[in-house]
Amino acid sequence: MSELRENEQKTMIALRDAGGRESVEKIVESTGLAHAAVMRAVLSLSTKNLVKAHERKRTWITLNDEGKEYARNGLPERRLIKALIKLSGEAPIDTVVGEASLDKSLSVIALGWSARKGWARVERETRRMKLLTEPSEGPDERFLTILSSQGSLILEELGKELQEAFSLLKRRKIIEVDEKTLRELELTEYGWELIKRGLRVVKEVSQLTPELILTGRWRKIKIRRYNIKAPVARMWPGKKHPYLMFLDEVKEKLVAFGFKEMTGPIVELSFFNCDGLYMPQDHPAREIHDMYFIKSPAYGDLSSYEEFLNNVKKTHQDGWKTGSKGWGYRFSRREARRLVLRSQTTPVSARTLISKELEIPGMYFSIARCYRPDVVDKIHLTEFNQIEGIVVAEGLTLRDLLGVLEKFALEIADADKVKFKPGYFPFTEPSVELHAYKDGYGWMECGGSGIFRPEVTLPLGVNVPVLAWGLGVDRLFMMKTGIDDIRYLFTQDLDWLRRMEMI
Amino acid sequence: MPTIEIDYEDFRSLLGIDLPRDPEKLDDILSYVKGEVKLLEDNELHIELQDTNRPDVWCVEGLARALKGFLNIEKAPKNYSIKGSSGVDVSVDPELKGIRPYIACAVVKGVQISDAVIREIMRHQDKLDQTYGRQRKRTSIGLYDFDLITPPLRYGVAKPREVRFIPLEFEEELTLEEILKEHPKGIEYGHIVRTYPVWPILMDSKNKVLSFPPIINSNDLGRITENTENVLIEVTGTAHETVLNTLTMITLSLADRGGTIYSAKIHYPYGRVKETETPNLKTETLKIDMEYIKSVLGMDLSLQEIKDLLERARFGVLNIKETEVTVEVPCYRVDVMHPADVVEEIGIAYNYNKVPPRWPQLPTIGGTALEEKLRNVIREVMVGLGFQEVLSFTMSNPDNLFAKMNIKPERSVEVVNPKILSFTCMRSWLLPSLMEFLSRNTHVEYPQRIFEVGYCVTFDDKRENKTRDVDKLACVTIQSNANFTEMKAVLDGVLLNLGVQYKLEETKHGSFIEGRVGEIIINKARVGIIGEIHPKVLENWKLENPAAAFEIDVDKLREVARHRIK
Repeated sequence: MSELRENEQKTMIALRDAGGRESVEKIVESTGLAHAAVMRAVLSLSTKNLVKAHERKRTWITLNDEGKEYARNGLPERRLIKALIKLSGEAPIDTVVGEASLDKSLSVIALGWSARKGWARVERETRRMKLLTEPSEGPDERFLTILSSQGSLILEELGKELQEAFSLLKRRKIIEVDEKTLRELELTEYGWELIKRGLRVVKEVSQLTPELILTGRWRKIKIRRYNIKAPVARMWPGKKHPYLMFLDEVKEKLVAFGFKEMTGPIVELSFFNCDGLYMPQDHPAREIHDMYFIKSPAYGDLSSYEEFLNNVKKTHQDGWKTGSKGWGYRFSRREARRLVLRSQTTPVSARTLISKELEIPGMYFSIARCYRPDVVDKIHLTEFNQIEGIVVAEGLTLRDLLGVLEKFALEIADADKVKFKPGYFPFTEPSVELHAYKDGYGWMECGGSGIFRPEVTLPLGVNVPVLAWGLGVDRLFMMKTGIDDIRYLFTQDLDWLRRMEMI
Repeated sequence: MPTIEIDYEDFRSLLGIDLPRDPEKLDDILSYVKGEVKLLEDNELHIELQDTNRPDVWCVEGLARALKGFLNIEKAPKNYSIKGSSGVDVSVDPELKGIRPYIACAVVKGVQISDAVIREIMRHQDKLDQTYGRQRKRTSIGLYDFDLITPPLRYGVAKPREVRFIPLEFEEELTLEEILKEHPKGIEYGHIVRTYPVWPILMDSKNKVLSFPPIINSNDLGRITENTENVLIEVTGTAHETVLNTLTMITLSLADRGGTIYSAKIHYPYGRVKETETPNLKTETLKIDMEYIKSVLGMDLSLQEIKDLLERARFGVLNIKETEVTVEVPCYRVDVMHPADVVEEIGIAYNYNKVPPRWPQLPTIGGTALEEKLRNVIREVMVGLGFQEVLSFTMSNPDNLFAKMNIKPERSVEVVNPKILSFTCMRSWLLPSLMEFLSRNTHVEYPQRIFEVGYCVTFDDKRENKTRDVDKLACVTIQSNANFTEMKAVLDGVLLNLGVQYKLEETKHGSFIEGRVGEIIINKARVGIIGEIHPKVLENWKLENPAAAFEIDVDKLREVARHRIK
């Protein structure tokens, strides 16, 4: 036999005191528990086969205002007949109605019912009323009296005659009816047995308190069992943004591979964003449709890069000493000072190459916000993040480039297979596109890379090969989370962020 | 990246092989020239070509030419030669010097022209005009029925109302000025010449107008039909090299259609070269160190392999030895400016997927940037305090930054060419981004507590880029009983964990309720602001719950906490 909770014990005892069977309402009254608490106890007791609950339908009858009026003064037809008797059994209608002091609406009812009950008759021509019989009290009047004195009756408990009287009066719309399900509880044989063995009430508490702990009283009490399956209010923990978390993860892996993070400014000199990357000054990607230009000030300062600027200028014009023919146009130093919003992450790499702190061998990466004047839609953003990096060392070749890409595909993109395709970037040669295959997704382009052209590295003062790579992190994240709309990277949907799973 | 539209059947027949229709297989073939199928419906094939520097493959003829090599159908450069002089002389007017100084011409005879071929030629011409010719500004192409023209030609100038002719697709004569106003091409490209007092004009010896470069051809002479056998090609432009290259591209395409090439003679009144013969189909030679090839590809290839791979990439091998290879670069390979460009093609012909990858084992030590460490600590603390991190755009607009925040407009870092009105400048502070976020979530369960660590951009004249990226933290709480005290407790929690002492000083700020706003002071420096959001601001963002917020300059925190961040 499992232990009984405090409320269950109280319910059992109250039932015993009531002789073994009682309505829920009475038990609520005698135990002083809340209705819901008794019902919970009963539910639990009945699963243990200690108490049986019976349900019965009960129809409660009460009088409405009109009914109460009838009960006070008698039915209208009774009042009319009383007046007629007083007027010696025959009189004009108006006189009788006047004598009975019935108002107009009641007088119609009274005339109708007295005729229907066969108590009096009205002569049409003379409009006089004649008594037919001196009626005794009918069952309807008796019912009215009982109901009025008791306040309410239960239909199911009435005798046949009163039940008929009820239906008669119900039609006269003077009675209110309320159907209730009455629950009665009954101790089972097993329940009696248990009670005979003796029940003891143990105090239960719903909340352990500091006081209970300090006083040691917790030893004497019982902590109420909870329904641990009941639902609870939802909590929204503080969380990092899912996309930033993903970038953090990628970053962690890159650091583990030996890459050091580099940084650069959002507002960038065209020199770093383009010229230093061997993008000719009339390159289509440098036009107003592909890059944001700063309004004012429109130009920055390149005075601390004079030497590099000259190298880059000569390289664009005739190849300088890079072994290249160059682009063969007149280079504008002013254009190189033009301020833009960084349109790619590569200027950060260019700044690292030019930096006195460049380590050779060195591996670097950068996560940077980039900007392009695109219309925002499912696949375009005007602002997006790129992860890019460089590997700088003697003797690096295409094989190392593919090695780096393969590592990224397997370790970061979690790919099953890798494929390389020739690619194109103005600043690398050879250039390679990374395609990764993942079961369930198929092939996906997930990165671009190449070996920096000598026209890029030599003018910036670097004499060893530089591998440059970029990862399509947006796509990797979308693939991972199964979203197909790039706008969700910058979503303003709080509900989505709250519901986004952390792993 | 240029996308070209070609005829699949034409492409197949030029290649002469059983070309697959499966896009993936087609992609594998096209990857040799960095192309990718964008659309294939019936005979309509659209290919995106990544290389912005290879106009030779921006047409069906050029694609077939290049791919025949990689597919081992034809090897080494195709030999294109000039059969002789066409007898066309072109004299150039000195006044064109500052307007559109260069012209190049060629005549291709005996071209087999069908409707389909005309369509391909037109598409090729347009692609070159748009991309390589920078919307006709740098170069533009004209094609004519050579048999209707009486040489010599005069590339001269005319005043806007001086000359009249019937432009292509029109029925009546128009002056040049009228063409700019009425002809679709005049409206589209008129801006290239409009500012000059005189405009370029190309005429024959009978004073018949061939064209008004770079706007429109004559309807009489400048129209190619199925009956055209002999074609005069003319390219004008502002860059001599590009003009010559463009002429080469078109000339070779027509030669691939069975034509024979004849030259023209150009007479310049300016420049170093007074007289020149076009087209220039000369190949170039390039000597490449064998060591260099090995140093780029990282593989030991035999001389025979290198020779074979070069020829599949349709370069010629004039001489090959242990130390050096002498490569013949075809006239149309205008992208080759460094040996690296040729070496890449060796790699492509070899197939990147056969090159064994190798992870470069380098003795480097990885690490995140110093600034990231403080950012991450702050993010951890904010998350711990129950705030949801959000990520917003760093571009914004004055309405969001100032008007809606109930403060006076300040100068912000604006862009010249905003694409949409909501992104016209860089945000100067972070809180408006969070308010915008809240305004989009009024239907979501409250309380809402959000934060962002992100960049804002402000002016800084001392720096080379005239601006400074400022790293900021902002957070907001919004709920039915949000207030200053709640927010101050959060600020306290953040700064305590960074080991930073701070003070608050009363201040006034339009975004916050007076008497419930303070400046955050650290070491006498003002580093941020905290307060209860002004009801006016809540109203502006259509928010119905009280909110409290703070914003703090993380860079300044970094200075104070520097000794703690290693």
